[in-house]
Amino acid sequence: MSFKNILENFSYYRRDAEDGGHHDYDHRFGMTIDLDICTGCNSCSTACYAENNLAVVGKERFEKGQAMHWMRVERYWDNIEGDYAEEGAKFLPMLCQNCGAATCEPVCPVAATYHTPDGLNAQVYNRCIGSRYCSNNCPFRVRYFNFWSYYEDSWPEPLNMQLNPDLTVRDKGVMEKCTFCVQRIRTAKDKAQREERVMADGDVVTACAQACPTGAIVFGDTMDPGSRVSKLWEKHQIHRGPFLQKKDKTNEEIRGYRIFDELSVDPSIMYLERVRDTEV
Amino acid sequence: MSQVIEDKVIDEKLEWSRINADVIASMQAPRKAYWVTVFVCLTMFLCAIAAEIYQYKMGLGSAGLNNPHMWDMYIATFVFWIGMSHAGTLLSAILHIIHAQWRKPIYRFAEAMTTFSLMTAGFFPMIHLGRVWNLYWVLPYVSDRGIWPNFRSPLVWDAFAISTYLSSSALFLFIGMIPDMAILRDHTTGWRKKLYGILCLGWRGDDRQWRNFRRTYMLLACFLIPLAISVHSIVSSDFAMSIMPGWHVTTFPPYFVAGALYSGCAAIMTLFVCLRYFFRMEEYMTLNIMEKTCKLTFAIAMVWTYLNLIEFSSTWYGHNIYDKEVLIAKATGPYAAVFWTMIFCGCVVPFTLCFQKLRRHMPSMFVVSILLNLGMYVERWMIVAPTLAQAHSPHQWDVLWGSVIQWAIVFGSFGWFGLLFLVFVKLFPCVSMYEVKELCFHLKHEIEEEEKAKKHATTKAAGKAEEGSGRTAPGTPGLEGA
Amino acid sequence: MSRHRLLAMFKDFDDAFDVVDKIKAKEVSGVEVDDINMMSPIEHPNVDEKLGKRPINIAYFTLAGAIFGVTFGFFFLSSAQASFLVQPQGGKPVVPLPTNFVLMYEMLIFFAVWTTVICFIFLSGLGQKRGTLYSEKLTVDEIGIVVEIDDSELDSVKNFFKNNKALEIREEKV
Repeated sequence: MSFKNILENFSYYRRDAEDGGHHDYDHRFGMTIDLDICTGCNSCSTACYAENNLAVVGKERFEKGQAMHWMRVERYWDNIEGDYAEEGAKFLPMLCQNCGAATCEPVCPVAATYHTPDGLNAQVYNRCIGSRYCSNNCPFRVRYFNFWSYYEDSWPEPLNMQLNPDLTVRDKGVMEKCTFCVQRIRTAKDKAQREERVMADGDVVTACAQACPTGAIVFGDTMDPGSRVSKLWEKHQIHRGPFLQKKDKTNEEIRGYRIFDELSVDPSIMYLERVRDTEV
Repeated sequence: MSQVIEDKVIDEKLEWSRINADVIASMQAPRKAYWVTVFVCLTMFLCAIAAEIYQYKMGLGSAGLNNPHMWDMYIATFVFWIGMSHAGTLLSAILHIIHAQWRKPIYRFAEAMTTFSLMTAGFFPMIHLGRVWNLYWVLPYVSDRGIWPNFRSPLVWDAFAISTYLSSSALFLFIGMIPDMAILRDHTTGWRKKLYGILCLGWRGDDRQWRNFRRTYMLLACFLIPLAISVHSIVSSDFAMSIMPGWHVTTFPPYFVAGALYSGCAAIMTLFVCLRYFFRMEEYMTLNIMEKTCKLTFAIAMVWTYLNLIEFSSTWYGHNIYDKEVLIAKATGPYAAVFWTMIFCGCVVPFTLCFQKLRRHMPSMFVVSILLNLGMYVERWMIVAPTLAQAHSPHQWDVLWGSVIQWAIVFGSFGWFGLLFLVFVKLFPCVSMYEVKELCFHLKHEIEEEEKAKKHATTKAAGKAEEGSGRTAPGTPGLEGA
Repeated sequence: MSRHRLLAMFKDFDDAFDVVDKIKAKEVSGVEVDDINMMSPIEHPNVDEKLGKRPINIAYFTLAGAIFGVTFGFFFLSSAQASFLVQPQGGKPVVPLPTNFVLMYEMLIFFAVWTTVICFIFLSGLGQKRGTLYSEKLTVDEIGIVVEIDDSELDSVKNFFKNNKALEIREEKV
């Protein structure tokens, strides 16, 4: 807490997202989700439940909107008059976008959410006092609050044996959300460090990407130019930064977009538009 | 057209000893009505305690909250109570600076209302937290792990602002009461005498004390006004600093301050009617003062209406589809009934304050003030819920109405406020005795000066007339008014 | 040489100010206008005219408190933010000036108010003992004039007050 510190680094401390921020990122994890090959099977959502000790809240509480699905598959219909109930549904797997200029971060009163040098938006369960401002400020609404002590009845014996020991089980009053399987990232990083090498593409795969049967989800480091996800981002002309993306709209092959881009939050997930086989 | 009644603010011939006696009488042995009110308030408060205990143990799911309605009635009520506190500051500080003498008989209970509203509001940031026991992490203290609260967050600004405002208001109330404490020390006995003797800090009414007092009071008033405005602007920034449609509005700070002054003035009207009736303060809380309060409320109501219109028009002119949809949903969607209640109570009902007959009719003013406050409470809720119901992500659109637990706690907060206020009126003078004496003194002087001037004018005219008729006019300056 | 203090009670401000004017006009010896202490149930707007201006220094302390609040606020907040670098970003810089200004403003007012109140209590001599001359009627409607005089002038001053509509005279030895 020294004045010397402030005075020396003042201009550095004044940089914001448009100037590149003050973080020196060593990785910036990102994702691509191809909506054209997504079948809406919900494997990703289930895998996330299993990997991250998510509580199954029961039908009543789910209907009330108190569910804990960090990865949720949203369904939208343009035309609801088909022969089957699900006919024409479009699936959108929605999860925390780990925004570069996250709107949830500056509003937490106790600094329980912050941006890591990995490019992840981290949630510190121990620091959270449950004011829920972060969730209100998230345009994607992907932050979930522990409204009850779910752990008390979500995993009756012997279901508690399936809990993932790499991360905690959260008690009531704490906010949580997708972390890009940060426990897997840390494990892979540690392994790479022990083996005295840099993390390579494919060392980390998130639970949802691992479970997806069609390979719609691609996860990797967008700062690594050789990674699959980097190449996809480049191909579809999406760049990092809280700026509106300028894309070549005439080329039908370029399907990449980020959700709510006009809000300039710099999401880390690029979605590939669904190819429509009929005239809309 | 019936005659417009114009009467004096107060009867300037009131004997000062009578002022003392009347106000001290209001603090004496309470009658049955008082105990009934205390009992009712206590019951309401206990409901809230029970609900909060349940919520504390079970989690906020028992309050019926969900994703997206992470905030609901607690935040709305919080803003409501903070808002109600502003009129006390308006009356004590703003009207003091512009030397509006009519505030003198009523500002004491208004200032008390400020302090107690803040004490009530202070509960809500606590109870709406998921982990209440860690509330103190919001305060900036030196921790051995070098962790600080996030100063960017409007909720931390709230913590700073509300603690500043609460302590400043309490100090302002206390300082303003010192001469009254001296009066009470001199004219009561027993435990009261001891209590007031301590609280008046040895006030003797001597020259040095009065001069310093006058300066201090003016300084505190000058600081309290920007503080009050900044506090409610900061509370509004809980909403304005987010990106939610319907919240991210630049006019929120003045809108909230106007709404605060509005609901506070309405609350002053309610308390005015109650105290005037129960303590028989007709001589002090005169109809003239009620009229002035009503006119002030009307002016603020029109400001509030204007700011609403500004918000609606700028949303309409802008092409932000999220904001537009939220506004249309407010007026025509599931919350429409509540929206139109707000518009009716906030924009239409104040026109009753234009009629003098109604302004001077206390039961009508009681009803009107309750309706105005209802409109303002509903307005706060209409800020919170419809935005959360229809934000950016369509998958998370949801309509929520409050639950039993929320209602119990909100209801109980009124009980707590009532309890605090009821204790106050029996322990401390709800009418400021020395200021009423000052008011009478100034009014007496004004009337004397007016009469002197009139006599001077008539004698001059008489003198001129006599001169005109040839006789020498006697020297007139010696005619001093009686 | 011993001194006495006298408290003379008057019906209202007019009577009291008549006496003050006479004292100013030196109609009685042993008492100067600057030594007069007037006790009253309310403040009178013309007291400065009648008794002369007396220095009130509270505003300087208030200013000092306000300046302290602002500078302390800025340095405290910036150092906390600079040392807690993991602080949430949201694309915002480490030391964001707009938010710091808000908090500096609050601290300005906080310190200004507390300094004013604490200095008021000291500067107005609220806690000090100033003799026991007092009358309950001072908190009803009477005005008191307190003077401190030598024993030799005691009787002449008392008579002066009696001749000028004093309702009551109390005295004590200093």
